[in-house]
Amino acid sequence: MAKLCFAGFPKMKEIYYNTSAGEYDSARTGKVRVHSQVYEPAADTYLLMETALKEVSSTDTVIEIGTGCGIIARELAKTAETVVAADINPYAVRCARANGVANVVRADLFSGIRGRYSLIVFNPPYIPIQESEKHDEWIECAWDGGPSGADVINRFLEQAKEHMTVNGRILLLISTITGVERVMERIGGLGMKAEEIASSRVPYERLTVLRSKAP
Amino acid sequence: MKKHIYNTTILNGYTMKRELMDILCCPMCKSDLSLDVTDENEEEIVTGTLYCAKCDEHYPIEDGIPNLLPPDMRD
Repeated sequence: MAKLCFAGFPKMKEIYYNTSAGEYDSARTGKVRVHSQVYEPAADTYLLMETALKEVSSTDTVIEIGTGCGIIARELAKTAETVVAADINPYAVRCARANGVANVVRADLFSGIRGRYSLIVFNPPYIPIQESEKHDEWIECAWDGGPSGADVINRFLEQAKEHMTVNGRILLLISTITGVERVMERIGGLGMKAEEIASSRVPYERLTVLRSKAP
Repeated sequence: MKKHIYNTTILNGYTMKRELMDILCCPMCKSDLSLDVTDENEEEIVTGTLYCAKCDEHYPIEDGIPNLLPPDMRD
């Protein structure tokens, strides 16, 4: 992996966003700084953020896996009781901290993290990537879903099941590139039930947010 | 340099950062970690080390961010 060189945020970009995809509301806007080795918020980020903000309540204990620049974790922290954000990318965890997320952990999915959470949020890497297509950059963690495109999602689901409270929910963003049916079957196979609670069509794919719960 | 030794299992979340330490475990064996603080401010631990006695492995805390990746995945 590329050598870590983060002093003074050398390659930061400022992104302005609105937590509502609908009407403009100045109270719902924010700004995040995103490093060039961190995924820049896009349609998938905003769909998951908007859906998660509708889902979250003041009693929720939240964990966001793959927080990236921390935009979703930061917004959820305004409502939730606690929010923990994790990412494997060293640039992402620093970005999330710089963007005001208090509890940030560098970890591979849930490894090194204990406890159960009432709301688990994940915008996973979902693009099928072959070994020969890799460039050894940290930002690739944001989209590299392994040869099947669902490798990370499958590992996540198995671990997430062990980190849910009794009435806990998982919000997982899925693209038609990975296959929504396939992921829903996987969730069913783990003894949970999933439903589509939001979706959005963007060029080349349809994005969906799945909410999974114990039956 | 100020130096304290805490066991994460007895920390009760007095600040956000202490609370965070409570939910961490060894990524390899899931055991409790002991915390060795080398630098902290009023709000949180800035620099330190988490140690797993069972695996004899250290996990660094830098800039307030604990790094729970196994040693072979860190770089």
